[in-house]
Amino acid sequence: MTTTQQHLQHLYWRAGFGPRPEDLASGVSPRKALRQLLRDSEKVELLGNPAMQYQEPLTPFVALPSGAGTPQNGMVTTPDQTALGSRSKQPPADASPANRGELLQGMNTLPLLRRESMTAQQRKMQNDRIRQAFYAMNTGWLGRMATSPAQLREKLTFFWHGHFACRVRRPDAALQLNNTIRQLALGKFGDLLLAVSKEPAMLQFLNNQQNRKQRPNENFAREVMELFTMGRGNYTEKDVKEAARAFTGWGYNGQSQFVFRANQHDEDPKTFLGHTGNFTGEQVLRIILEQPRTAEFIATKMYRFFVNDTPHPAHIQPLAQAFFKSDYDISALVEQMFSAEWFYEAANVGTRIKSPIELLAGIKRTTGLQLADSKPLIVFQKALGQTLFEPPNVAGWPGGRNWIDSSSLLYRLQLPSVLLRNAEFQVALKEDENDIAPQVSKSDRTFRQQVKATVQLAPIQAMLAKTAPNQQAAKLSELLLQTPIRPENLALVQKAADAVPAEGRLRAMVTSMLSLPEYQLM
Amino acid sequence: MATSRRDFLKTSVLASSLLFVPKFLHALDRQGLQKLADANGRRLVVVQLGGGNDGLNTIIPFRNDLYYKARPTLGIKEQSGILALDKDLGFNPAMTQLKGLYDQGHVAVLNSVGYPNPDRSHFRSMDIWQSGSASDQYVSTGWLGRYLDSNCPACQVPYNGLEVDDTLSLAMKGALRKGLALKNPEKFHQITQNRFLAQVSGEKPAGAVSELDYLYQTLAETTSSADYLYQTSKVYKSSVAYPTTEFGRNLKTTAELINSGIETRVFYVSLTGFDTHVRQQEQQGKLLGDLSNGLASFAEDLQQARNFNDTLVVVFSEFGRRVTQNASNGTDHGTANNVLLLGGGLRQKGILNNAPDLENLLDGDLRHQLDFRSLYASILHDWLQADDKAILGQEFERLKGLV
Repeated sequence: MTTTQQHLQHLYWRAGFGPRPEDLASGVSPRKALRQLLRDSEKVELLGNPAMQYQEPLTPFVALPSGAGTPQNGMVTTPDQTALGSRSKQPPADASPANRGELLQGMNTLPLLRRESMTAQQRKMQNDRIRQAFYAMNTGWLGRMATSPAQLREKLTFFWHGHFACRVRRPDAALQLNNTIRQLALGKFGDLLLAVSKEPAMLQFLNNQQNRKQRPNENFAREVMELFTMGRGNYTEKDVKEAARAFTGWGYNGQSQFVFRANQHDEDPKTFLGHTGNFTGEQVLRIILEQPRTAEFIATKMYRFFVNDTPHPAHIQPLAQAFFKSDYDISALVEQMFSAEWFYEAANVGTRIKSPIELLAGIKRTTGLQLADSKPLIVFQKALGQTLFEPPNVAGWPGGRNWIDSSSLLYRLQLPSVLLRNAEFQVALKEDENDIAPQVSKSDRTFRQQVKATVQLAPIQAMLAKTAPNQQAAKLSELLLQTPIRPENLALVQKAADAVPAEGRLRAMVTSMLSLPEYQLM
Repeated sequence: MATSRRDFLKTSVLASSLLFVPKFLHALDRQGLQKLADANGRRLVVVQLGGGNDGLNTIIPFRNDLYYKARPTLGIKEQSGILALDKDLGFNPAMTQLKGLYDQGHVAVLNSVGYPNPDRSHFRSMDIWQSGSASDQYVSTGWLGRYLDSNCPACQVPYNGLEVDDTLSLAMKGALRKGLALKNPEKFHQITQNRFLAQVSGEKPAGAVSELDYLYQTLAETTSSADYLYQTSKVYKSSVAYPTTEFGRNLKTTAELINSGIETRVFYVSLTGFDTHVRQQEQQGKLLGDLSNGLASFAEDLQQARNFNDTLVVVFSEFGRRVTQNASNGTDHGTANNVLLLGGGLRQKGILNNAPDLENLLDGDLRHQLDFRSLYASILHDWLQADDKAILGQEFERLKGLV
């Protein structure tokens, strides 16, 4: 791993969702590419379109809030949506922080019907609509991972999506949390932590809506410390109880907005991590950030995600210290990480097992793959064990070798043939893998169809243009694999290419290369 | 079948990558199997009822007025065919076959099994049951996966734990060893087969070091396992009639593998659809009939091959339902639930503990009498002869003389 191209590919895989051939053709230095990645990610483009808006089934007309329906700051409310009473608005192309509040306010704000009082038909319709909205959010985000210039922002959003893992039934709340994370993904960790802690989705998921002075619920306080900031062993059970008291009264209203219910808040003194005062939730989060352990915990987790599953203390310590000193500047941390010499060392290149999302987004990005119907992408995610917006629990996806078992590995190795060459593929998903909207019929859980997809291989073709045919497989392997290809595999790929007519040669070669165990690594 | 397989091979490079399965894995070392044999040839079959089965309408407290008061229309009347057991409990009318097995002493019932601070979310509660964790713990391995880890550190073969399904459950994932998921041995074998297998190259030293080694090793193990399972499963074809449902087919596959003499000690099978918020009676009755008929065929199959005595079947669900019926003639998510044990060698039969206490509810839900991890501890220690404490991470009181 010594060539500039290999370093560049490494950077694009770790800081984004893999390189496009044209990213490599430019021949820029990794340093310059990193600066460009940072620049391209400065703008925040929120995720959202009408398909992602959940609509309550069979809801009578509901009066719109004043101002709705009037375009503001470039926002559009289509007449159709207004007529349905959904109050949904399409996010503007460029949602700056200034208009973000209004954007979020514009999300579907209807309280859900009580499920107990719904008819079977209504439940089914509700489930279907919730599922459709989640599918749209999922594939919309996956598509963006594959195509957005803001690769670094999307990658960080994906990292925080697993860190602040949250799974709720309401698509609007899930999307709002996702956009809050996207907005602050490269900012100050303190801001991100506070904003996520006040998100209705998180408050609901970790039961802080039920956290009252008279009857504290400790779930949120516990996870904030255990999973989001310091990690186990750095606080006591007493600290959990005291922090929970500080978060009493934090909740959300029917408009999916944070509310502080002063009458439910415990205003008495608390002693938390050695400090005593009439702390609010905000103050507790501040105290947590004052612990160098928090910087270390986050830097370690980011190192394990972006660099190597095995933490390297000598690499992490300087990162953590600088992170702490910078008041938790995430952008500065990733810049430091991706420009470190050790980042490009062989021990860190081609040594991480791609998560299912990284695998899928990477194939899409590198080959320009487009599916006529994007539903199979959801099926693959479920079969491989990682579905966007559906982490297994608040601890997120465990990752690493956990992704690989006999069946998931076989699905991974079949995937390129299915996507690029219409090979037959069959899977019956488990019911609990669809739990966001339960009661999915067996036929809906069973996938058996050919995928209709198109790829853009012209850029790869261009890269290989000057290479002799018998050298093309080797050249292609350098582009697609982050670990050296075994000579036997190379011969095999070559053989697969030789077995098809000239016009299918490149596609066959690419498919073979993507089907190798080597391609599972980045 | 043959055609689609050929098509698959033509278009798939999966097949060709199998060329590089290291040779050392082909002659799979069998040293680990000796360890599994230490479990006295006993095996465990876990049946998961997905969606939260309503235990109160499965094993019905039909002499308890509180039951009928809480369920004015959903409560099942005695005259509708409740199959009375002892202690004022009876099986759902759909469970006639299981009643037969019960009368023969092949069924045991544990009431009110659960855990402290129950979670009413399907996926979270299932996570808890499958990982064997407390409700505030997040564990990324399953209890049976950790059994494979601990009991069989030297095993190279994933089929030591088999899930009859297309994807593998958390329950079967250990830190070092993972079970293998397959719907049927022939199809699984087809996927991993290819005609070039004899030309294998790329030999490497044993033991996964790098991530790439790990991938190749997993692939090699999968291929070898698929081959072994396919060859072995040909030995025995069941002659017992099973229900023509997916669950029935999966149990049949399980029985055929067991009766073929496969060394697998842990099997995992699921039956889903128990999330009965609406018009529960019809849906649950159908599912319980499917469960009952399927298990009866399974028992008969194993009995014929003399494998029933060393098989323990455990039937669980992630939670029970609310005691009170809802407005749509269904039930909402609840807490503690009954667990069924089935086998030819049960040490204790019948109803093993008190019926659910309907007087002493917590927010309308049953309080658990028995922690499911105590049950796991008993099964691991007494049935599979494994180190329950190491596998569960702490010591749970075992149910003496249960299995």
